[in-house]
Amino acid sequence: MAEGEPTEGPITAEMRAAAQALGWEEDLLDRAIDWGYSPRTVVSALGTKLAPAQAKSFLDREPLKPDLTWMDAPTEWGVRAEQADADMGLTVGDIMVGSYGEIPDLWTDRTEIARGSNPQVGQEDMGYTIFEKAVVWTDSVADLYERAIRDRWAPATDLGWRSLEALPDEVEKAICQVMTEHSERAYAEAAVLGRWLPEISYGFVEMKLFMSSVIYDLARHAEAFRKRALSNGGGLGLQAPTDLIRGATEARTYPELMAYLFVQDSAFLTFFRHAGDLAQNQLERDLYALVASDRERLMEYQVERFEAFLLAMPDRREEQQRYLAKAEVRLAREWNDPAVREPLILLLGGSRENVAAGEAALTALRRRQVEEYLGHLDQAGFIRSRLHSGLAVYLEEPETAPA
Amino acid sequence: MSAEPTTPELDLSWLDLYDDPTSAEPTKKGLTLDAIDIGDYASQEDLPRDMTPRLRGASARENAHRQGLTYQTKHDVWADQCRSLYEEAVQRQWSSARDIPWDTLKELPDEKERAICQVATMLAEVEFIAGDVPGQWLPHISGDEFEVGLFLMSQIMDEARHTDVFRKRALANGGGLLQQGAGLGLRNLIEAQDFTEMSVLMHVQAEGFVQSMFRMGELIGPTQADKRIFRMAAQDESRHLAFGVMHLKHVLAETPERREEIHHYLDKAEDRSAGGGSGDVTFPPVFESLCILLGGGKDRFDEGVAKFLLLRRRQVKEYLHRLDVAGLGDRRERLGSALAQYAN
Ligand SMILES: [Fe+2]
Ligand SMILES: [Fe+2]
Repeated sequence: MAEGEPTEGPITAEMRAAAQALGWEEDLLDRAIDWGYSPRTVVSALGTKLAPAQAKSFLDREPLKPDLTWMDAPTEWGVRAEQADADMGLTVGDIMVGSYGEIPDLWTDRTEIARGSNPQVGQEDMGYTIFEKAVVWTDSVADLYERAIRDRWAPATDLGWRSLEALPDEVEKAICQVMTEHSERAYAEAAVLGRWLPEISYGFVEMKLFMSSVIYDLARHAEAFRKRALSNGGGLGLQAPTDLIRGATEARTYPELMAYLFVQDSAFLTFFRHAGDLAQNQLERDLYALVASDRERLMEYQVERFEAFLLAMPDRREEQQRYLAKAEVRLAREWNDPAVREPLILLLGGSRENVAAGEAALTALRRRQVEEYLGHLDQAGFIRSRLHSGLAVYLEEPETAPA
Repeated sequence: MSAEPTTPELDLSWLDLYDDPTSAEPTKKGLTLDAIDIGDYASQEDLPRDMTPRLRGASARENAHRQGLTYQTKHDVWADQCRSLYEEAVQRQWSSARDIPWDTLKELPDEKERAICQVATMLAEVEFIAGDVPGQWLPHISGDEFEVGLFLMSQIMDEARHTDVFRKRALANGGGLLQQGAGLGLRNLIEAQDFTEMSVLMHVQAEGFVQSMFRMGELIGPTQADKRIFRMAAQDESRHLAFGVMHLKHVLAETPERREEIHHYLDKAEDRSAGGGSGDVTFPPVFESLCILLGGGKDRFDEGVAKFLLLRRRQVKEYLHRLDVAGLGDRRERLGSALAQYAN
């Protein structure tokens, strides 16, 4: 048939030509129409360039009738989440409505089911180990997650890298040592937290979203500290001491991990909040402030989770003393490590000639860290039975504080 | 205690660790990971890899603890461009709360709202594991390849956003979540016992299939908001895929003896599910909801089926293309039967 010549019925010459080019059976198109397929469907099938056998198995049979029973899945229907705050947009908190906002104390589904959807029987166990709400949850997770996204920043472009000016050699190296240490600490904490993600079941999805944002925050901290070390005539110094992070790796359960990390999360937050005193330039002031504001969210989670956990599982209260003690002992030891302590003394004192002033300032900073740590425990409703002596010593009168 | 001021001795040995003063220069894209990959701090081939938490280039402490087993060669985990993929991830983060035009959602015919909610339910499930899997592998990456770790950490953030945006979609327009997906193929991602196995199955295969679907989002999404969700998610997935393709390419180039082993992972995965770790799109609730969306309604289901076949063809064609780019072009000859029918 010549091109463009009108044909009988719904099948055009172009359609026949296309079918022929694809090697489809000669009268497949006619049979498809007889079966009840619409010409549009036949055109779509031609556009898909189905192989002859495939085209036949699709078009040379009674059209598939969808079953559609999934449309009547017995889930809550008719949900129209409203934005509580237009500036924040449609938040995870906004969609925690009706049954979709109910977080059971014990989540029992071992599959990867999205909480609130209708279970499909016969699914595999995904191997999650965390099913108790009190272990991971606090109500602010949804909000913390959205705040993390709203307040995101980019080390490559949000810091004034071109503003850096040369510093005295020892000062630069002291900064580089601090950066080396904290780059490693941030990265290692993110890696430990990442390893726990597969343990947490879908019942607590909002908490996992937040934890994902924490991991990403810590990644950027590791990145930013490294960049600062390599951008102003210095380099990387000595790796961080490994005892403190090692304890996090050793944690056997998520509550242990969190109690253990509580100590460093609190100490690092206070450190970065006050690290403006170490900063030699605007870039460092900005960097420390951004890191501190990210770490505020993590600490908010830590305090609230701990409080909720202790309320729900009062019999596990005493056990927590152990994890805190283990972390405190290691933190105190690392504070005395020369590569941790001395750069701070130099930076706080201003130079090697001002060691005594630097030491006094560092002692004051350590004292603040210990005080705020106890304050964080207090907020969580936890009384530390016996603060480790290596930290307690900073709470003594300044005259008798450690040298 | 004496009031006399003391001048304590400092050790200061940490001051003597610097050979070459390093001053990385910011680029047009700011101070990037590529910009600081210089001198002694650049990625190295030397063995062995550090098993302590030390990140590449820092001086080692003699008493540092090992932190568990990590891969011992760069090839086991590396992907060229992982640095720039990470930087792109940081620059292109978006917010499911504020960057989706939720106000363009409009009341849809019940069948369409149900169909998009069913697709969103499946994706809210599938995206969840895509964060767990990279998390599982972080401790096994040596600090010598910390950029790979950073990239995976950015992926964890991306996948959280994907999990949340599909959940938001299901609950934003008068609908809800519907039927749980088939689950087939998801577990093989978390079952992987090797980084390359994981990356090929997740980054290349599963995320590739998902990506081909997202790229048809203009046809699937019934509203502007839906289309935008698919576009934004696709932008993220292209990084995850790129990582996987570049990793596979690196592995095949540096350790060609692993070729059959990698085929073997794919043999198993392709046998196991038509969705290959992307959630099974042939599972009736997913298949039917996609056909309703693609066809434009229940009464045009057949047309939807035709377009669904197009989706399948694209998934397989793009999958083979990506493997070809990575150097595994011979996959075409041994493709599993569920996929081979679409490979012509
Ligand atoms: Fe994703
Ligand atoms: Fe992805």
